[in-house]
Amino acid sequence: MRYYELIYIVSSNVERKKNDQAMKEIGEKIQETGSKIINHIVWGKKKLAYPIKNNTYGTYMLAHYEGGDNDKLREFDSWLKLSDLAIRHMIVKLDGKPDIVESLEEDKSENDTAEKGEDKSSDEKNLKKEKNKDEENKEAE
Amino acid sequence: MAFQTRRKYCFFKENNITAVDYKDVKLLKRFTNDNGKIMPRRVTGTSAKMHRKVVSAIKRARTIGLMPFVDSGSE
Repeated sequence: MRYYELIYIVSSNVERKKNDQAMKEIGEKIQETGSKIINHIVWGKKKLAYPIKNNTYGTYMLAHYEGGDNDKLREFDSWLKLSDLAIRHMIVKLDGKPDIVESLEEDKSENDTAEKGEDKSSDEKNLKKEKNKDEENKEAE
Repeated sequence: MAFQTRRKYCFFKENNITAVDYKDVKLLKRFTNDNGKIMPRRVTGTSAKMHRKVVSAIKRARTIGLMPFVDSGSE
């Protein structure tokens, strides 16, 4: 069996309700193709590396599923591209069966150990950026 | 004693990492320069096998907006 990973971005301008609605609709569409959904979770709101359709922030969603009918899966891909639910999406074939994920949390402790070669100044900048992000997230909530 | 020799090593071999995920931006950032360009193998010292995986992971991260195609640093 083939396992796939779908990642899509929902514009962060829309309300939470619409987020759930997008998840619901996309989940239903995946099931229509005869696929079995393993995971379907919200990864979180992130700043985009470059603006996509005039959005600087986006909410990332992640879905793992076991592939069903191939023609229907292809149809689902083009349907998602045409729909307004997601501003960008990507489907990737996985090597093996994915684990069941409850939630994807960003490890903040990794910051301390990773990137030893970096200058102190850039580290400080990163810290400031993260602080700003946290504040923005709090405001959004 | 003008030059100090620095040992080049494969980051993945050293840390026993066998798979590269495109969602792991923190790891992938190691292999790009300040402009967001992918650094060559002769600079990073990565093994050929893992470098191919890193390249495809960075390209995937770019299409989904996790990493920049070009980082001009204007933020």
